[in-house]
Amino acid sequence: MVSTAGENAAVYDVRLSSVVPASITGEDKVHELSNMDLMLKLHYVKGIYFFRSGAARGLTINDLKKPMFECLALYSTLSGRVRKSEDGRPFIKCNDSGVRIAEAKCSKTLDEWLAFNDDSLNDQLIYSQFLAPDAGFTPLVFVQFTWFKCGGISIGLSWAHVVGDAFSASHFINMWGQILTGQVPPHHLDTYNPKNQKKFPSPLAKVPLSIQRVLLDPDGGHWLLSNHRKMRTHSFHVTPKQLNRLTEEAKLVKPFEVISAMIWKSLAKTSGKAEEPKIVTLISGTWDKENELPSNSRVIISTIEAAEAPPAQADLAELARLIAQTQEDETHLVERVMDQKGSDDGESRDFILYGARLTFVNLEKMNIYALKMGGHHQPVFASYSVSGVGDEGAVLVLPGPPPGTESGEDEGGRVINLILPENQLEELKYQLGNEWGIH
Amino acid sequence: MPQRSPEFSGSVKLKYVKLGYQYLVNHFLTFLLVPVIAGILLELIRLGPDEIATLWKSLQFDFIQILCSSYLIIFISTLYFVSRPRPVYLVDYACYKPPVTCRVPFSCFMEHSRLILSTEPKSVEFQMRILERSGLGEETCLPPAIHYIPPAPSMEAARKEAEMVIFSAVDTLFKKTGLEAKDVDILIVNCSLFSPTPSLTAMVINKYKMRGDIKSFNLSGMGCSAGMISINLARDLLQSYPNSIAVVVSTEIITPNYYQGKERSMLLPNCLFRMGGAAIFLSNRRSDSIRAKYRLLHVVRTHKGADDKAYRCVFEEEDPEGKSGISLSKDLMAIAGEALKSNITTIGPLVLPASEQLLFLMSLMGRKFFNPKWKPYIPDFKQAFDHFCIHAGGRAVIDELQKNLQLSAEHVEASRMTLHRFGNTSSSSLWYELSYIEAKGRMRKGNRVWQIAFGSGFKCNSAVWKCIKSIEIPTDGPWSDCIDRYPVHIPEVVKL
Repeated sequence: MVSTAGENAAVYDVRLSSVVPASITGEDKVHELSNMDLMLKLHYVKGIYFFRSGAARGLTINDLKKPMFECLALYSTLSGRVRKSEDGRPFIKCNDSGVRIAEAKCSKTLDEWLAFNDDSLNDQLIYSQFLAPDAGFTPLVFVQFTWFKCGGISIGLSWAHVVGDAFSASHFINMWGQILTGQVPPHHLDTYNPKNQKKFPSPLAKVPLSIQRVLLDPDGGHWLLSNHRKMRTHSFHVTPKQLNRLTEEAKLVKPFEVISAMIWKSLAKTSGKAEEPKIVTLISGTWDKENELPSNSRVIISTIEAAEAPPAQADLAELARLIAQTQEDETHLVERVMDQKGSDDGESRDFILYGARLTFVNLEKMNIYALKMGGHHQPVFASYSVSGVGDEGAVLVLPGPPPGTESGEDEGGRVINLILPENQLEELKYQLGNEWGIH
Repeated sequence: MPQRSPEFSGSVKLKYVKLGYQYLVNHFLTFLLVPVIAGILLELIRLGPDEIATLWKSLQFDFIQILCSSYLIIFISTLYFVSRPRPVYLVDYACYKPPVTCRVPFSCFMEHSRLILSTEPKSVEFQMRILERSGLGEETCLPPAIHYIPPAPSMEAARKEAEMVIFSAVDTLFKKTGLEAKDVDILIVNCSLFSPTPSLTAMVINKYKMRGDIKSFNLSGMGCSAGMISINLARDLLQSYPNSIAVVVSTEIITPNYYQGKERSMLLPNCLFRMGGAAIFLSNRRSDSIRAKYRLLHVVRTHKGADDKAYRCVFEEEDPEGKSGISLSKDLMAIAGEALKSNITTIGPLVLPASEQLLFLMSLMGRKFFNPKWKPYIPDFKQAFDHFCIHAGGRAVIDELQKNLQLSAEHVEASRMTLHRFGNTSSSSLWYELSYIEAKGRMRKGNRVWQIAFGSGFKCNSAVWKCIKSIEIPTDGPWSDCIDRYPVHIPEVVKL
């Protein structure tokens, strides 16, 4: 959590406490982790929301914590802790340990902070801890409230991907916001039961391309990934005008695909022949049912191979069409890998998904601006990121600020969050700025 | 079955013998009166009505003699009525119910301990073992300042907790009874470990704008048995002031006293003490006797402080690192047993029926004069009391008392369930227990309740109440939302 821009210790006076569910979960309640959950265990979803001072006026920390108690009563899994069963498979014991809340102050005003335009600074606003080395006693979810000098407030959410995907995280914090503004929460949440379970013959017909087996330091307790390259985050804003221009160029292709194509092409150009990413991973899977329990069951993983033309030379429209049409759905393959036993004795059962290949994540339909505080205050800006990403990097495509917020224009803007190795990121910034006018 | 029947019928016979003996001794005077009345009646019948009439006319009474004797009778009866102690009525009481935002499940407590004492895994292990065997449940509460890692005790946080607990309990009491603040004549607040200036009593008077001539007392440092001391003080004051109302507030403020060091003898209170408080409305007014729930019969206080070991067994001091906490010595249970013995020796003659006292006397004489090896007779207190409220100081205390007084599981149920739901709330725990008994619908008019509390010093104080009104199951109160779940089975060791 090093800040490159801005002074040191801009965020200070960090105090930690815990919030537990309002009602007892009961003894021996256990949440089994699915194969997909375990596949994603090394990744963490991070969300940040910025609000103007009007949103938090008159609200003390206790006013912010109180709805969390009620909210957690609906999500018993989030308050649990990881345990290992006898055969070594992790599960979550719903023991009401709770989520960790951090309160902090910032010596800058909200505008000053946003002006820095440095996403790595946001790490100071999102208190987080890897599940290693003490997974049994580390919270799965962290929420940080930071008060800015002007009275503005930021809410930072750190969410272990093992519990659910980014949409689950967003639904959770939205539910909290609803209870905060006085809405009555539902009595209980539904579980998603996917109906079609395709059965594949064993042994594994094909090795999935999107994941990578990793060897972890056993001291880290198999929950901590170490990168070989230094990763950095940066976000770009694609205005609706720019997006329209791109989609016109690509013709009849959806925004996510054309943006992914643009990034893929630019990265391929900057990385040179040897490191050019030929196969990329796409993570999609959208859901908007806010009253469902968190899960990873809706994650859809596909790969795209640029078999014919190298992406650096390819036409943007062609690349976008390639992405749209030649997706190979690997979701079930990936899930099956976790089932493999016996033949893989002694081999590590730890995998990464994000960053095993260059990964594009479609979060366009995430309802992040639905989080409202006091009255009808929407966030000034909201964004999501992923940490624990592998060396190939990840690209998250998020909705831009909607009309009605301060920086919102007409519908259709996008925010692109890139998590890439440091050197690649610098070159890419230059490329995108020059060729597409995107900053 | 046939093999057991001689034993069984033997024990049944014994039971009837016991019952017969008890009935005879307890109603001895009645039995004595019966032959006397019979004799008089027989004599009257023998004399015949005419003889009785002549006897009556032969009695000569001087006018003065009649006047003097009636004067004497009136004088003696007035003296008798005036010198009787004023009855002290407990009109009603209210217990504080902590909000759900203060809840501390086991796992959360343990995780915080691990983080705070990260350099002392042995101390963490010790705390875990205590918690597993403590008898506490998952709904006990700690004040907001203690939820921080590390805890953030400050005087302001302590005052906030005091306001939260005391004002809430007093508000509930006023609402329940329709009592108004300006009618309160005597105010007593007891809180052992937090004693700011101005006192908590002054805080209450300020908040509720009580009268300028109120008699206020603030008791601090007197431990978990201070609740009974406050009741005793209120009773004594109500003897001096006729037609008065007393409000007693018993609580313990946890915020400033959370031990942050690693000494094992001082970590125990962290695991057991929890937020709680109670406000009690006492009165000696005639008009309140109709609506009062209980009448105070006896208060017995025993102090073992003269003994050095007893004095030091619950001691607040600084550990070698300078962190202050309450250290509990290993002889705590033994000293508690001794204190209990003293207390029941004093209270026994006041409450036990004559049959038990006679048995105890005979056993005492037997041990003294005949054979010192005879087992001392433990009087059966179940005959004197219908309900027992034993201070929920910890599982060990309740087990010890259950054993010593030979109580059944149902008798100690109120204490165990209070420990489970609220933890050790110090001086107010007796009131949560009483509330439990009422919530279960077990309190009947005429029932006697024995409240017994132990505390630092070492003291054992107890009070005896008699229920003087039939009590309906309350719809509000600290147990209203969870009484259906109780009693729960509390395992010997809870798996964390």
